[in-house]
Amino acid sequence: MGLIARAIEAQGISTVAISITKELTLSVGVPRAVFLRWPLGHPLGEPHQRAQQQTVIYHALQTLLEASEPDTLVEPALRWRRETYVEPDWSKLVQ
Amino acid sequence: MGENHTLRERISNWLFAIPAVAEWWSQRTAKTTGQLVDVSDPTPFAPVTKPLAQMRMALVTTGGFHRTDQTPFDMENPLGDPTYRVIPDATPRAELTITHKYYDHTDADTDHNVVFPLELLHELVDKQVIGATAPRHFAFMGHIDGELIATLNQETAPAVAEMLKQDQIDAVLLTPA
Repeated sequence: MGLIARAIEAQGISTVAISITKELTLSVGVPRAVFLRWPLGHPLGEPHQRAQQQTVIYHALQTLLEASEPDTLVEPALRWRRETYVEPDWSKLVQ
Repeated sequence: MGENHTLRERISNWLFAIPAVAEWWSQRTAKTTGQLVDVSDPTPFAPVTKPLAQMRMALVTTGGFHRTDQTPFDMENPLGDPTYRVIPDATPRAELTITHKYYDHTDADTDHNVVFPLELLHELVDKQVIGATAPRHFAFMGHIDGELIATLNQETAPAVAEMLKQDQIDAVLLTPA
């Protein structure tokens, strides 16, 4: 996935990747990534858990906007099911 | 869909769903994959140039999604499948499926947003958080190895990047399996 991100970014398009394999992402060198220590096959969380999924998207969009250099890897340290997820305040991203 | 799981594959998928096992695999694979990218080659970076609410966003996943009328990804080649599938933005949920035997996609089958958050992006357009979704999105299978990594790197990934440029996409969200 990192190689695809690099190819897209090389075309002048900003990218942000969700990663659940940190070392792999770091080894390839990805422009912007959000790392979650979650089970494979669940980058956005669990089925029908909208607030959890939205929280992941929020972190990805925030990283997209705030990263100022490549190889930015943000770790929100979300603890899978052991968080109380609420819909993020999107207005913070739309300023 | 050519996705007949052997017992070994089922056990493997179950094991890899454990974050510590995935972490071990990630560290191990990083050592070989790191050699594929020239470390003197800096990571490209395209700064964001407009507010989120004006961006047109595309999704690119390596979760093995494709339309039911498209050829499924190749499950027979042990080196994987470096090709991609174009997924139009308006593809109905029922016309999307997953072919990828290298991860347990039971949960992603139940709710595509777990891996391919197209509905979530549409909701963000409705909420005016992002400007628009792309006319088409792209799916790979991931799990690509050996000489097929070069095919991905030199052919299929640049081809997708070119189409994203044609579609005047501002930002791409990438999601793994």
